[in-house]
Amino acid sequence: MSPSVNYRFIEGRWLLTLVLLAAVAWSLFFVPWNSDVVHSGGAAAALEILRALFSPELSPSFLLVAVEASWKTISFAAAGITLAVAIGFPLGVVASGTLVSSPMKRWTSIAVVRLTLAVLRSVHELVWAWLLVLALGLSPIAAVLALGIPYGGILGRVFSEILNDVPEGPLRSLRSAGASELKVLAYGRLPMALPQMLSYAIYRFECGLRSAAILSFVGIAGLGYQVQLSLDDLLYSEVWTLLLFLVGLVVLVDVWSGLVRKSLTT
Amino acid sequence: MAPRIGVGKASLVGFAMLATASWAYILFGGDSGLADLFRTQTWREVWDFVRRLFGAGSPGTPALFDAQSWRTAAGLSVETLAMSVLAMVIAGVGALLTFIPASRNVAFGDLSSSRSPVSAAVFFVIRALYVFTRGVPELVWAMLIVFVLSPGIVPGAVALGIHNFGILGKLSSEVVEGLDHRPMRALRASGAGNFQMLAYGILPQALPQLLTYLLYRWEVVIRTSIVVGFVAAGGLGREFRLRMSWLHYDDVLLLLVCYLILVLAVDLASAGLRRLAR
Repeated sequence: MSPSVNYRFIEGRWLLTLVLLAAVAWSLFFVPWNSDVVHSGGAAAALEILRALFSPELSPSFLLVAVEASWKTISFAAAGITLAVAIGFPLGVVASGTLVSSPMKRWTSIAVVRLTLAVLRSVHELVWAWLLVLALGLSPIAAVLALGIPYGGILGRVFSEILNDVPEGPLRSLRSAGASELKVLAYGRLPMALPQMLSYAIYRFECGLRSAAILSFVGIAGLGYQVQLSLDDLLYSEVWTLLLFLVGLVVLVDVWSGLVRKSLTT
Repeated sequence: MAPRIGVGKASLVGFAMLATASWAYILFGGDSGLADLFRTQTWREVWDFVRRLFGAGSPGTPALFDAQSWRTAAGLSVETLAMSVLAMVIAGVGALLTFIPASRNVAFGDLSSSRSPVSAAVFFVIRALYVFTRGVPELVWAMLIVFVLSPGIVPGAVALGIHNFGILGKLSSEVVEGLDHRPMRALRASGAGNFQMLAYGILPQALPQLLTYLLYRWEVVIRTSIVVGFVAAGGLGREFRLRMSWLHYDDVLLLLVCYLILVLAVDLASAGLRRLAR
């Protein structure tokens, strides 16, 4: 490493440190320090919520409610992810720019698709859900669309990056054997990229579970909806039971994606 | 080779079955709303909604072309930005304080000076905390926290902070677990104490990666800030919720435009800062 490179490296770090410290200081100005940050009775409520964590509601009838709500959340997440793959896969292939060979067409198609993906994923799924419920009414299909659209945007971008990161060697040998770009994609890029794409899709399924749970905010059934009902009645122990179910689901999918990832790297 | 195909294939088949069951449940388990997508009435309503977003049917200039509305929205955007930064401060400080004892190689392996049951217990407690805080979505944390904190940007920031504390903590302790052990063993062999190990062995290797993760999460947090604002009553989210319930859809569109600009700006800022961290 030459001294000049080293010098710039240090300068960048200093600048970053300064920027971060300034950001921290700036954000602290927005905290209303002089007024009551904790509202009256807040401490008592916090204590009650914490105490309920150690005595979650475990009566069979409530567990049944939790299981049913869990299944609704799982089904929205799974359906949403399949829709997201259906949106993200074709768009991702186009956004990777691997299909078209003429540079002019290639760059326009990449730019248009990338912009579309960016808009799809920039808006949070709950905002999508709210707009969709207003437009289409309160129905399961609105929930699936609300998950599928932003997740499709995310998957599309990540899929295109994975497709672009495939090693060039095998692709070149396919091309030299006379394969068209479509065949290079089908027999070269996709088989090599598929394991990573699968592992990322499973990770997104884990996020989808959490997202599906909060769609309840606009009135869609599932774990979050039950959480809201219990919160309205101040039944914190029921809230924790439902949250433990959600955490359990997330952990389960996390273990699953861990297994897939491990089988890919060894 | 054999198990590699096994897990991948089993996962694909398993997920396909789950997806089929889910779609079947959604489509046939009651009114799915799918038929509505093919009714002209639905699309007329959608079109009407879109027109009202652009100000049809509301008196006065649409918010999108009104300077005063833009000023209000800009103020809310700044507030939202502050909420996201505050959330990252909470998450970052929390993760920074806990990620080292939560690393497997520090708690049990090569890097530990003493393998005591205490460090093992600390490891499991922190890891369980990570799992729990990140398993519960930001919005649900916000719903709980409004029982304790006064409405504003602070409860939103705390909710975002708690959730991202779990994510950042997990990611950064995994960074420590993946570190190259040789420089640290050399340090230890030349007589470094625990503090020196931390300052010269672990942090220089782990901090840049931690910062990168922090900046990546910031991009996610700014997207979610509007959502926690719905319940925590801070920033763009509060105004979005109010305007929605007052049916002021032209204001809703303006808020969405500001939100998109904010998301885009944070993406760019984060990319720039990440380059500095490298």
